[in-house]
Amino acid sequence: MLSPERLAQPDYEYLAQRHVLTYMEDAVYQLLENREDISQYGIARFFMDYFNSVCQGTHILFREFSFIQATPHNRASFLRAFWRCFRTVGKNGDLLTMREYHCLLQLLCPDFPLELTQKAARIVLMDDAMDCLMSFSDFLFAFQIQFYYSEFLDSVAAIYQDLLSGKNPNTVIVPTSSSGQYRQRPALGEAGVPEGVEASLFYQCLENLCDRHKYSCPPLALVKEILNGVQRLTFYGFLGTLSKHPGINQALGALPDKADLMQDPAMDEELERLLAQVPGLVPAVTATPELGCPPSRTPPRVGSPWRPLHHPRKVDTESDGSTEETDESET
Amino acid sequence: MIPGKYRSVSGRAANNVNCGLHLVIQPSSLPEKNKVEFKLNRDTPSFPGRLLQHDLERNYSSRQGIIRDGRVISPSPRNKSSCISSTTNLTELCGLEMKTTTSSLSAFGDSSIQTPSKSRIRQGCHSAGPNISGDHINLVNSSMPSFPILQHSSEEKSLYSDRLTLERQKLTVCPIIDGEEHLRLLNFQHNFITRIQNISNLQRLIFLDLYDNQIEEISGLSTLRSLRVLLLGKNRIKKISNLENLINLDVLDLHGNQITKIENVNHLCDLRVLNLARNLLSHVDNLTGLDSLTELNLRHNQIAFVRDVDHLPSLQRLFLSFNNISSFDSVSCLADSTSLSDITFDGNPIAQESWYKHTVLQNMTQLRQLDMRRITEEERRMASVVAKKEEEKKRESQKQSLLKEKKRLTINNVARHWDLQQRVANNATNQDRKDSASPPQDPCQTEGSTISPFPEDTGAVDSGLTSALQSLSVIDTHLVEVDGDTLSLYGSGALESLDRNWSVQTAGMITTVSFTFIEFDEIVQVLPKLKIKLPNSLHLKFKETNLAMLQQFNALAQLRRIDQLTVDPQGNPVVNFTLWKYYVLFRLSHFSMQKINGTEVTQNDMIMAERLFGILAHVASSELPQYHLISILGDARKKQFRYLLETKGKKPGIVNEENNDSKRLVGENTNRATLNYTTREFYNEKLEDIKEKKKFCKMYIEDLVKEATEINMKNEALQKLWPQMFIELVRDAVIETRNKNSYMKLCLQQITDQK
Repeated sequence: MLSPERLAQPDYEYLAQRHVLTYMEDAVYQLLENREDISQYGIARFFMDYFNSVCQGTHILFREFSFIQATPHNRASFLRAFWRCFRTVGKNGDLLTMREYHCLLQLLCPDFPLELTQKAARIVLMDDAMDCLMSFSDFLFAFQIQFYYSEFLDSVAAIYQDLLSGKNPNTVIVPTSSSGQYRQRPALGEAGVPEGVEASLFYQCLENLCDRHKYSCPPLALVKEILNGVQRLTFYGFLGTLSKHPGINQALGALPDKADLMQDPAMDEELERLLAQVPGLVPAVTATPELGCPPSRTPPRVGSPWRPLHHPRKVDTESDGSTEETDESET
Repeated sequence: MIPGKYRSVSGRAANNVNCGLHLVIQPSSLPEKNKVEFKLNRDTPSFPGRLLQHDLERNYSSRQGIIRDGRVISPSPRNKSSCISSTTNLTELCGLEMKTTTSSLSAFGDSSIQTPSKSRIRQGCHSAGPNISGDHINLVNSSMPSFPILQHSSEEKSLYSDRLTLERQKLTVCPIIDGEEHLRLLNFQHNFITRIQNISNLQRLIFLDLYDNQIEEISGLSTLRSLRVLLLGKNRIKKISNLENLINLDVLDLHGNQITKIENVNHLCDLRVLNLARNLLSHVDNLTGLDSLTELNLRHNQIAFVRDVDHLPSLQRLFLSFNNISSFDSVSCLADSTSLSDITFDGNPIAQESWYKHTVLQNMTQLRQLDMRRITEEERRMASVVAKKEEEKKRESQKQSLLKEKKRLTINNVARHWDLQQRVANNATNQDRKDSASPPQDPCQTEGSTISPFPEDTGAVDSGLTSALQSLSVIDTHLVEVDGDTLSLYGSGALESLDRNWSVQTAGMITTVSFTFIEFDEIVQVLPKLKIKLPNSLHLKFKETNLAMLQQFNALAQLRRIDQLTVDPQGNPVVNFTLWKYYVLFRLSHFSMQKINGTEVTQNDMIMAERLFGILAHVASSELPQYHLISILGDARKKQFRYLLETKGKKPGIVNEENNDSKRLVGENTNRATLNYTTREFYNEKLEDIKEKKKFCKMYIEDLVKEATEINMKNEALQKLWPQMFIELVRDAVIETRNKNSYMKLCLQQITDQK
């Protein structure tokens, strides 16, 4: 409310641009969906719950794809949720196929489109051998780029294509469709010309694009850094480097650094607790549902390393959690 | 005229002297001595060897006097009458007038063989010792080849002029029988004769016995037109031949030879007894023309099938014991014979069969004896009863095999449908995702398949209990089958069978349910029914069901219990995933499954599953916002969840008093319940629904926000105006109260006015 930008544009546009409208719409929709249940525990409480979950990034769990991709925050939240839920798969060292990763994605979002997974896999595998196995971290970082900057990458693909065919890309502003366009790449690359496009020219175009682009773009400085390192580069080469660049990951803020990718002490602790229950027949288990649940609800909120994305008010999050607990005990 | 041959013959004869026969061949021309003297063995004792064989063959011929492979006919006239009694024509042999013939030897035997010298043969009667030699039989010692010449003594001739017995004389050739043109009975039993010759002059011959010799070919009989009994048993004959002129033949005994085929007998229209036992026959046919044949003995051959027997109008007795007949079909022509009254099959594979007796009796009602035993009425009745049962059984099994065939065809058909559907679905997904939700289901596409729709009857479900395998219904686009404890469903139409009324017993028995060629999403929709109708199903099998995603396994969690899960890699891409097993274990952990795809689930598997997906469950259960949790769990779980919410609010101590079991169940469920599966169709519907609602929400919010911003704008405008307004108000008040006296007057005036 107090942001100076707020005064520069009409309220409605401001709200829309900040995706506040998206969340308000969704909140009302949720309210509409579950009005009976919600009316039982209070509408005010529902809104508190809702916006709390938005802050924590848990609001995207098991939601439809259209919602998950609606805002950058949702995308980042989804990436984070995916990492948290399936970090153990990567930790186990399994190499999986694109389809299997897709299945994991669908566990969190039932209608997640295969196309996105395919594109992410293409970044990792660099070619069309789509049945190859990928490590979890490779896939995750490629997927992060592809998912978070989806629209940006589509535009980049179009620009790249235009550069390859010698057109002036500046005339092309926003590509209408993405898929299929860069499929012709191998055929063009074979024509004796050194593969790829000139990096400097490519950068100019990207700069141009980022200025105009209304969707989120990777920080231009980092792109420049990547492109300065090479003379020529191919589209997938660019994406590959982009996905592996730690700066981009940091800027995005959804995932930890590659080195720490397998670390999540809070969750590991939780997992140990769950594993203790696995035999399922030890007497201790009977007590855990009651005793285990309240603490299990609090620690991830308090201890969730979500802050890099939400710098404001660590205290608020904690106090939110505590008020919730008191509320619960009152009902 | 080969000297060597003669020599060898005479040499052999000489060697045989010790054994009781002495031939003296004298180159004499004396008329008195020009005779071969012989004595008939009038009282020939029965030969133990022959009798032994006869006994072995064991039949009732002795009773009825029928010639079998064992020889019964004895050369002695006394025996003869009793032995050949059934062949009545022969009895007249006994009454033959005995004539002695002393005819010239020139007419003897094969005219081609000239005997330059004549010999005198004398037979030793009872004990043919060497001492006898020299007295009556003389061997003609000559450098020229020759046959022994046989002469009667006149006294014997007068007694038995029509018969001549040369039994056990170690003869290697047929002797020339001179002057015996009236001979009617000739016996060469137990000699070593290799060739029939020198008897063509005996044109009156009626009875010729060459039993137990070494004859290799039937020959030299063409002139014996009156021959009625020809006994060639126990020789080395390979082929029936040269019987063309023996049209009066009544009895033909060829037992114990090496004949492989019945042939050249079709002209023997008077033949009544034919004995081909102990030969090498592999089959019986070519019997036409034997119009008088009443008895046919074929024991101890290798006969596998019999034909033409129905062309024997007089056949009464047929002996097929010890052959290779293994089915009734191979002797089916017997059923068409109207005259047959007595038959034996013992020693054949067929006789071992349980159905043997009644099948034979059923098919051959004219029989009076089977395997030497009289057939009683009782047996006949039994046979017909058993036959009827057999028939029913056969029909049943036919029906079964028909059903099996139908099943096979149906499954093929379903598979074809499935393939087609998959192809269409794949095309549709490529073009438009939505189209794949409704793949074409046109049952008429079966290219005129041979399967006729099997009537669907719900009652069959119960009767299916009795038989181990019974198809409940066969319809060409799907198949439902209950086999023991397994219910197999082929094709999506088969899922409808779950709607039917299942008897408690049948339903209770079924522990395994197998799905083939059914879209998994369609199966998901019937799972609740499955849960209710087949409460004991513990083992689910999926094959060709398009299981492609891990989340699809979520759907199985709603079942009551699963012990085993089998997902065939065929048509289920999910099995190629490295994680699928662990996911199943994780998601269905509340079933504590024992086997997945036939492999035992170990504790390690369980831990691994939890390690991989435990966090997912934890995140899903603990981090999901409550409002969403409710909407995911759906109506059925809401209650449980509310219960959970309520108990959560209370102190743990109080909660402990509640029913622990149900709570654990709830806890178990809610931990993972959020991981559920909605089929693509439903999900699309849901998405549509969401779209609608979202649209509404969007409009609503838009209105709200616009209103709010408007209000905000007005408010801001008011805020801007307000200071000025206030100033104006104050200014007015100040002006009014500037003159204190006049204002006071005015005020007082107002007060008085009021009163």
